[in-house]
Amino acid sequence: MAITINTAMPTSFKVELLKGLHDFTAGSTRFKMALFVATASGSGTYGAATTNYSDMGADELTTATGYTRPGQLLTSVTPTADGTTAILDFTNETWGSSTFTTCGGLIYDTGNSDSACAVLSFGGDQAVSSGDFQIQFPAAAAATAIIRIA
Amino acid sequence: MMSTAGGMEVGIVKVGAVSNRGFTPEEIAEQALDQIISIGNNSHPVIQAQAEAFRTEIGSVLVAYLKQAVASHNTTLTNRFRDAGHPELVKLLEV
Repeated sequence: MAITINTAMPTSFKVELLKGLHDFTAGSTRFKMALFVATASGSGTYGAATTNYSDMGADELTTATGYTRPGQLLTSVTPTADGTTAILDFTNETWGSSTFTTCGGLIYDTGNSDSACAVLSFGGDQAVSSGDFQIQFPAAAAATAIIRIA
Repeated sequence: MMSTAGGMEVGIVKVGAVSNRGFTPEEIAEQALDQIISIGNNSHPVIQAQAEAFRTEIGSVLVAYLKQAVASHNTTLTNRFRDAGHPELVKLLEV
């Protein structure tokens, strides 16, 4: 078995947005990003049907060199509008002095029972050895932002 | 009349990973530029050229200041090593 990750906005997240359960205003310390194991080391399928951080289970990297469960806090930028599209951004996140291999990540909200906000595929295994590993979020614009509502 | 066109989407993240070192000023500047300047493929060629020139110029400024920050931080570390009684460690900071 191998892990399967499809970049997606969880359906449950869309429902929760309409219920007003997530607040991405800058200064909040509730959004985290957890990393998946290498493709061959996992077995689950993640994407639009993923609802919670707990879904990751053993498919999350273990606490080891450079990575600590349950992931790292993200710094959110207060949502804004680009034209008629609402956009969200986070500051790039770095795992320093790390040695691991990962194929994707999960953004989740610790302020709402660890509910999933975004499933991110890295397009394959990404390895780091005694170095820095960084997630670079896309430009905060209508066509590129990490989360967009058009 | 109400329009229902639209949708919710997730963007594409980039992953940066380096082994046996941290990121260089040039690499960090490039990451910063991706956040500062976004040039659309459908933009007018003249506008694209101006944006690219601006990106290059800003990139040079960022690299210069990031290098100054690294050098300045090394000065701080040098003093910390000396204050802690380990002046021999200062050599590790020399590139």
